[in-house]
Amino acid sequence: MTRIGRRLRGWTNGVLDLPQDVLQEMPRITLIGNKELYIENHRGVLHFSSEQLRLALVKGVLEITGEELVIRNILGQELAVIGIISEIRYKESGENP
Amino acid sequence: MKEPPLSSLRGFVTLHVTGPQVERFINAVTGAGIIIWDVRPAGDGASLNLLLDDFFSLRPLLKQTGCRMHVTARHGLPFRIARLWKRKFFAAGVLVFGVGLLLLSSMVWSVKVEGNTRIPTEDILEAARREGVYPLQWIWRMKESDELSRELTSLVPGLTWAGFHRTGTSITIQVVEADRPEQKPLLSQRHLISRTDAVVTEIYAEQGRPVVSRNSRVKKGDILISGALGDEENTEFVVAKGNVKGLVWHEYKLEVPLQRTGSAYTGERKDRTYLVLGKWAVQLWGYGDSGFDKSRTLTEPDMLSWRSFELPLGLMTEKELEVKYTTEALTPEEARTEGLTRAKSDIFARYGADSVIKSQKILHEKKENGKVYMKVLFEVEERIAEELPIVNN
Repeated sequence: MTRIGRRLRGWTNGVLDLPQDVLQEMPRITLIGNKELYIENHRGVLHFSSEQLRLALVKGVLEITGEELVIRNILGQELAVIGIISEIRYKESGENP
Repeated sequence: MKEPPLSSLRGFVTLHVTGPQVERFINAVTGAGIIIWDVRPAGDGASLNLLLDDFFSLRPLLKQTGCRMHVTARHGLPFRIARLWKRKFFAAGVLVFGVGLLLLSSMVWSVKVEGNTRIPTEDILEAARREGVYPLQWIWRMKESDELSRELTSLVPGLTWAGFHRTGTSITIQVVEADRPEQKPLLSQRHLISRTDAVVTEIYAEQGRPVVSRNSRVKKGDILISGALGDEENTEFVVAKGNVKGLVWHEYKLEVPLQRTGSAYTGERKDRTYLVLGKWAVQLWGYGDSGFDKSRTLTEPDMLSWRSFELPLGLMTEKELEVKYTTEALTPEEARTEGLTRAKSDIFARYGADSVIKSQKILHEKKENGKVYMKVLFEVEERIAEELPIVNN
């Protein structure tokens, strides 16, 4: 993306007041209690066990810790996790593979 | 969305994937556009569900990522069909049973006829068979019930209405029979002859040839209405019918006593009740003499009975009713009136109630031994016709 394009985006965003995930490929994370978690715009699974789930993002890593984690479904860039979720950690540009 | 739509119909499998990098495999699968669900860590790998259609495109991905998999469970219709195919004769049996049940239940099994008294059931069943209603006929091949009832009514003579009613596999034909005119009794050929000597006053021949005319004298046995039509050569015999009246003289000898005795109940009575055991009767109530001068006794047994059996056990009531005899003296005038009344009622009883007494004449009257003796001549117009069968030799 060119610099002008990026600036145009930033400007449009400022003028139109659009949500960030639509324009800037940021993940949208929906958490329902501590039972269900929906993540859109992820970039793949890095690690998956029943205690921990690490997801790659455009920028950074999302680390979900809990118990009895199950990926209910994966559909393209959407992912639903159920289980008992205790911790969600967002690491921006950490150890991005 | 938990799983893809109709997944149980399309069939899906549960896989257990092991390998150094299960996550990469999952990413690869997702990247290839394959839907997976219920991914859960199990042992050193992960178990996941995916559709049967996608299963065969999994192999290159596995090779790429160096994972191994084996199928732990199969769900859905395709697998069920495959399993059923192993027992195809059993499945065929189930199918044949279902089809047989359907076919047998769409057949007529019994036809009944109700409401007929004169027309035989077989005739109606035969007509119904011609209209296509008979056992082992397909129900869907039968015509509509209103059409059937119309055609059956026209097919069976003497039917006013026929109704078809189907309950399951049995058909009831409800019929109403037409009312027929009353049949006249058959009569043999006959003449009408005179029963007695008379003078004809009225003759009306309904059938046959009147031989005598009004005011003609007839003797006993004379033909009044002839049953023979035509001349001597061409004769046809019919049943003579008609009405002939004539004047007839009857002579009555009457004797009327001048004293009339009668009896009447006074209303006094005495009841006795008996217990009946077989042939013996034991009096229960009403002991003692009634003290009546003259009496009449009525006995009413009242036996116990069970259904049609009469038991030899019961009650008997005896009623003793006091009677009073009366004697009434008649004047000769009254005696005569009574005698005439008696004679007239005798005429009406003997010669028909439509007889008319034209005149009466007392020929002779005398009083002797407490009685009135009379000789009366009645002139009566009465029916004089009598049937005489014609015998052909």
